[in-house]
Amino acid sequence: MQAEETSVTAPNAATRAEGRVGSPRFYLTNEFGLLVLILLFATIFGLATSGFLSKFNLFTLGRVAAINVMIGFSMMVVIVTGGLNLAVGAIGVCAAMMCGWLIEDIGIVWPVAIVGGLALGAVLGFINGFAVVRSGLHSFIITLASMSIFFGGMIFLTRAESFRELPPFFSAFGRLKIYGVVSPLLLVAIVVGLLLIVMYRYTALGREMLAAGAKPEAAALSGVRVDRIIIICHMLSGVLAGLTALLLVARNGAAIPSMAGQLGQDWLLPAFLGPVLGGTLLTGGRVSVLGTFLGAVLVTMLTNGLLLLQVGEFWVQACLGVLLLIAVLIDKARRTFLARRRIV
Amino acid sequence: MQSLWRADWFGPLVVTVVAIIFIAAFNPSFLSPLNIQVLLLAISVNMLIAFSQMIIIAIGQMNLSVGAIGGLAAISFAGMMEVWGLPGPVAAVLALLIGVVAGFFNGFFIAWTGISAFVITLASLSIFKGLNLAVTRAQPFYGVLESVKAFGATTFLGPLPWLLIPAAIAFVLTWYLLNRLPLGRHILAVGGNAHAAELSGISVPRTIMAAHAISGLLAALAGICLVARLQIGQPTIGDDWLILSFAAPVIGGAVLAGGHVSTVATVLGVAIVAIITQALVLFHIDPFLVQVVLGALILWAVGVNRWREVRVARSLKRI
Repeated sequence: MQAEETSVTAPNAATRAEGRVGSPRFYLTNEFGLLVLILLFATIFGLATSGFLSKFNLFTLGRVAAINVMIGFSMMVVIVTGGLNLAVGAIGVCAAMMCGWLIEDIGIVWPVAIVGGLALGAVLGFINGFAVVRSGLHSFIITLASMSIFFGGMIFLTRAESFRELPPFFSAFGRLKIYGVVSPLLLVAIVVGLLLIVMYRYTALGREMLAAGAKPEAAALSGVRVDRIIIICHMLSGVLAGLTALLLVARNGAAIPSMAGQLGQDWLLPAFLGPVLGGTLLTGGRVSVLGTFLGAVLVTMLTNGLLLLQVGEFWVQACLGVLLLIAVLIDKARRTFLARRRIV
Repeated sequence: MQSLWRADWFGPLVVTVVAIIFIAAFNPSFLSPLNIQVLLLAISVNMLIAFSQMIIIAIGQMNLSVGAIGGLAAISFAGMMEVWGLPGPVAAVLALLIGVVAGFFNGFFIAWTGISAFVITLASLSIFKGLNLAVTRAQPFYGVLESVKAFGATTFLGPLPWLLIPAAIAFVLTWYLLNRLPLGRHILAVGGNAHAAELSGISVPRTIMAAHAISGLLAALAGICLVARLQIGQPTIGDDWLILSFAAPVIGGAVLAGGHVSTVATVLGVAIVAIITQALVLFHIDPFLVQVVLGALILWAVGVNRWREVRVARSLKRI
C-alpha cells in the first residue's frame, strides 16, 4: 500500500521515497501515525468499554465519521490553494435548506432538489472564490464576511423554520445498514475521497490546483490560470459542503437551520481537525486525502470512545482542542526530524 | 485636507455622523436619552471585544479564541461570586488573570512552535469553550452580586452607563500602548515585518506573547462587563463575538497583514456597527438581517481599505 500523498513542492528522489512501505520514512508519515493511533485507541476502547465494538456502535461511528470526513474534505480542497473557507458550515446549511424548500414548498422530486441544493453550494462557493480573486484579499476575511451574509440570509428567508416533511427516502438512507454495520453515508464519503485522490493524482486540473497552491507565481508563469483554479476550488468546496449537509439531513431526517450551529461555526473545528491531523499544509500545495480521512475517523472515534467511557460530554470538546494542539506539535517535531535527517 | 482624507479615522467619522443625522431625521426617538444609553451600552462592551482582536491584528495574526476567553472569564467571574462567595472586585481581578493566562497560553504556543495563530487559537477556542461548558454544564450562574448588577444597569450624568468607564480606560490605555509605549511600537513593528523587527533587536517571541496576553486581558474585561450588563453568568457569552471582533478594526482601516491599526478609528467602527444594528431595530427591519448587514459591512470596509492601498501604491509610483 502506498500512502496517498501528493506533493509538488519538492519532486526530488528523496521525497518520492517518502510514503513507500519499507522505507523508514513511511513510518514517519502522518497516515501511518494516524493508523497506529486508530488501532491503539480502538483496542483501548474495545477493552475498556463493553459497547464500543458492538455492531450498533460501529454503525453509528461510521455514520458520524462520514460527516466529519466530508466536512474535512470540503475545507481541504480550499486549503490546497493556501486559502481557507470559514463559510463551509453556512454554505452547507444553505444548500440543505434549499433542498428542503424545493421539495416541500415547490414540490420538486427529491433527486432534482438534491441537485438544486448542490448547485446553490456551487454558486455560493463561486461568490467566495470570485470575491477572493477579484479583491486580492485573503480568503479568511472574505469567507468570514460571507459566512455571516449567507447564514443571515438563510435565516431571514426560512424564518428559522425547519423542513421536516421530507420524503422517506432521506431518513431511510440514513438508517440503512449494509451487512448490519456499514452506513451508506460512509460509502458516500469513501467514494468522494477516491474521486478526490484520482483528481489530485491523475488529472491536469488537480495538478494545477496543487501547483497554484504551492507557488502561484510559478504556476501562472507555466500557464496555469491561477484565478480560475482558485474559483473552481471554492466551488468544489461549496458543493462538498452542500453534500455534507445533505448527508446530515439524511441522518437527522430533517433540514434544520441550526444543524451547524450559529453561523455554521460548529463545523469549523472538524473542518480543520481532519486536514491538519492528516498533514495537509495550511500554506497550500500539499494534500493528503487519505490523511484527512483517517484524521476525521480518529477524531470521531475519540469522541465516541470518550463518551462511552462517560468522561462527560462537556469535556469532549476540550479534549478535541488538546488533540489538535498535540497533533500540530507532533507534526512540527516530525518535520524537524525529517529536515535534520535530510541535511545531515 | 489631503492628510485628513488619508487619516484612518476620517472616513468612519463621516459615516458615523451622516448615519446619526440620517437616522435621527427619519426617527427622532433615535436621539432620546434611553436610546443613547442603549447605544452606549452596546458600544462600551463591543469596544473591548474589538480592541482584544485589534491588538492581535496589529501583530499580523488572528485570534479566534477571543470569544472563548471572554466566555471563560465571564463564567469564572460569576461562578466565583456564586460558589465561593468572593467579593466582586476580587472575583473580577481573578477573572482578568484567567484572561491573561489564557492569552499567554495562545501566545506561548504560537511563539514557541511557529505554527500559524489560526490553528493554535482554533485549538484553544475549543479548549477554553470546553472548560467553560465542563464547569457550567451549560447552566448559567445566577448568583451575581447586587453591586455588580447595579454597575451594569445604572447610569451617571444622564444617559451615560457606568460600563462606559472600563471601556474608556481601556481605550486610553490601548491608545497609549500602541502610540507611546515601546511595547506597542514593537507590536506594530513585528506586525509590519517580523524579520526586520528581529534584526533591529526586538524579541519577536516575547512581543507575540505580550500581545496575546493583552488580548486575553481585554477579552476577559469584555466578558466581565457583559456579566454586569446581562445580570447573569451565561455560558453562551462570547459565542457571537468572532464576526464583530473583526468587523470594527477592519472598518477602522486595520491592515489584516499587520503593522497598521488605529485605536480611534476602531472605536468609530464599533459605533458604526452599533448605530446600524440599532437603526435596524428602530425601523422594524428583521433582526435576522443583522448578520447579513455585519457581513456586508466587513466586505465594504475591506474593499475600501484595498482601494486606498491601491491608490497609495499608484501615487507612490508616480513619484
